[in-house]
Amino acid sequence: MRLALIGLAILFLAAFLALPLVAVFSQALAKGVGAFLKGLADPDALSAIRLTLTIAAIAVPLNLVFGVAASWAIAKFNFRGKSLLLALIDLPFSVSPVISGLVYVLLFGLHGSFGPWLRDHGVQIIFAVPGVVMATVFVTFPFVARELIPLMQEQGVEDEEAAIVLGASGWQTFRLVTLPNIRWGLLYGVLLCNARAMGEFGAVSVVSGHIRGKTNTMPLHVEILYNEYNFVAAFAVASLLALLALVTLAAKAALEWRFADQIAAAKR
Amino acid sequence: MAIEIRNVEKTFGAFTALGGVSLDVRSGELLALLGPSGSGKTTLLRIIAGLDHADAGEVSFDGQDTRDRAARDRKVGFVFQHYALFRHMTVFDNVAFGLRVKKKAERPAEMDIRRRVDQLLTMVQLSHLASRYPSQLSGGQRQRVALARALAIEPKVLLLDEPFGALDAKVRKDLRKWLRHLHDDMHITSIFVTHDQEEALELADRVVVMNHGQIIQVGTPAEVYDHPADSFVFDFLGGVNRLNGVIEAGVARLDGKAVRVDGAVGADGPAVIYVRPHQVELGVAPADGVPDGKWSARVSSLHAAGPVARLELDLAGRALEAQLSRDRLSDLALEVGSWCTVDFRHARVFPAKS
Repeated sequence: MRLALIGLAILFLAAFLALPLVAVFSQALAKGVGAFLKGLADPDALSAIRLTLTIAAIAVPLNLVFGVAASWAIAKFNFRGKSLLLALIDLPFSVSPVISGLVYVLLFGLHGSFGPWLRDHGVQIIFAVPGVVMATVFVTFPFVARELIPLMQEQGVEDEEAAIVLGASGWQTFRLVTLPNIRWGLLYGVLLCNARAMGEFGAVSVVSGHIRGKTNTMPLHVEILYNEYNFVAAFAVASLLALLALVTLAAKAALEWRFADQIAAAKR
Repeated sequence: MAIEIRNVEKTFGAFTALGGVSLDVRSGELLALLGPSGSGKTTLLRIIAGLDHADAGEVSFDGQDTRDRAARDRKVGFVFQHYALFRHMTVFDNVAFGLRVKKKAERPAEMDIRRRVDQLLTMVQLSHLASRYPSQLSGGQRQRVALARALAIEPKVLLLDEPFGALDAKVRKDLRKWLRHLHDDMHITSIFVTHDQEEALELADRVVVMNHGQIIQVGTPAEVYDHPADSFVFDFLGGVNRLNGVIEAGVARLDGKAVRVDGAVGADGPAVIYVRPHQVELGVAPADGVPDGKWSARVSSLHAAGPVARLELDLAGRALEAQLSRDRLSDLALEVGSWCTVDFRHARVFPAKS
């Protein structure tokens, strides 16, 4: 029975995860390493890579700060509207990414609520980098907070109270006591948030406008290339994206292995 | 440092944790807050520390109102029930924490911090474990680290929340004795919360008995034990026989016979007579019936290990526990099933709760 279950799980994973992953890399290298590198060296592809990294570099730190602040508030204090805040944090998970993108178009697009005002002041959000960043921040918001809230709730407030009674300021308490207590959960949250920020398609697709070399991110660029039947280049970029995901997973596993005893101690 | 608490009130939603509590804590004493869970004792301790805020009333330290002093400025040492040690820091760093977070102007040099922490760890007999992490320590060791950490900031008052609650019986007894010695050496005003009456009576200079957010009685352990203010205190201190009787015309009666009682008798009606086991006087049953004014009972079980013998008696269908010396027991020549007379040296009576 146990063998059958394990076998089933492995078979399922092989068919639905491993096989496509192998396919991505084999397609990318189908016409040799030269074609693969050429696909990546294309100026539009380089621009897409640069934009994706920029977006992650903005969205992840923002959500790190927001996520920690929101979890702190929810886990350690009681206030009116707490369950509303919790529901709002989950909103990006429950709403289709396309809708998240559309909301920004409705707000900041040319015909949107703030559109005319923004145009008069020479600010462009939709079909520009700011819009792409905002959509990504929205979609990746829950990752850090969702990771931290249960952890912080379980840890309670005694450690913080102990620090305060010993004379620590609020900031010292956070830096010396709270942050070390949540660092592993925080790291997981950041890694997941980063993976999603780089891979987000739906919301970004709606707000970006697909302007090559300007507002195209890696996932969007893959789609464009694919639609142009430029398979090798499409899979070359896709394989790079997949590689980023694999590196993220490997980093997580390595950290878990390296610091297993500390993680266990932190949970006690 | 002396602490004055005046009419402190605190509610959590619909629950009244403290309903107007006043108390004077004398400088240098070791005070126990004793009561069942929900009696408000921990809330009172947290209000003194500044971790909770009273809805009304005031707490002052040496005559100075503490309302505007945040917890971090109060210089209180607080030992949490589950120790709240910082799990990512070594024992040494835990104890040094309070010194290292001081403002630059007040912070001792690192060398002085080392010396002070070493001193404290020697005092709690944990110098050899300075570089361990809390998860590598036993419960009793963690408790001592928590205590050393609280003492590092040289607090004017030491507050302990159920300090022995999470320890097993043996460690508990040792640590209790050790804490008493420590207090005798340092004479720092200390307040500890407990629901264990034995702990409170054995350790404290004075005991404050609390129930339902009120202080029921304050006194030395002997005063509280010998002269409980009411039936709650009697019940809570435990080890007492409760016998259902009546009060008639100002006299307490059990099975029609008058009971000599200490203190007020109360209004006529159903009543409960409280007698401690060692206040039960047993005598040899005479051949020709029971002497006037005494009761008769049959021995239902007998435990005679140690210097004191404990007897379970059957007094007209009621269970009654009695304690007497082994010598007295052999004088009486009692065994299971034999009859004896019963009298009460000291008893108290309270109207039965309807």
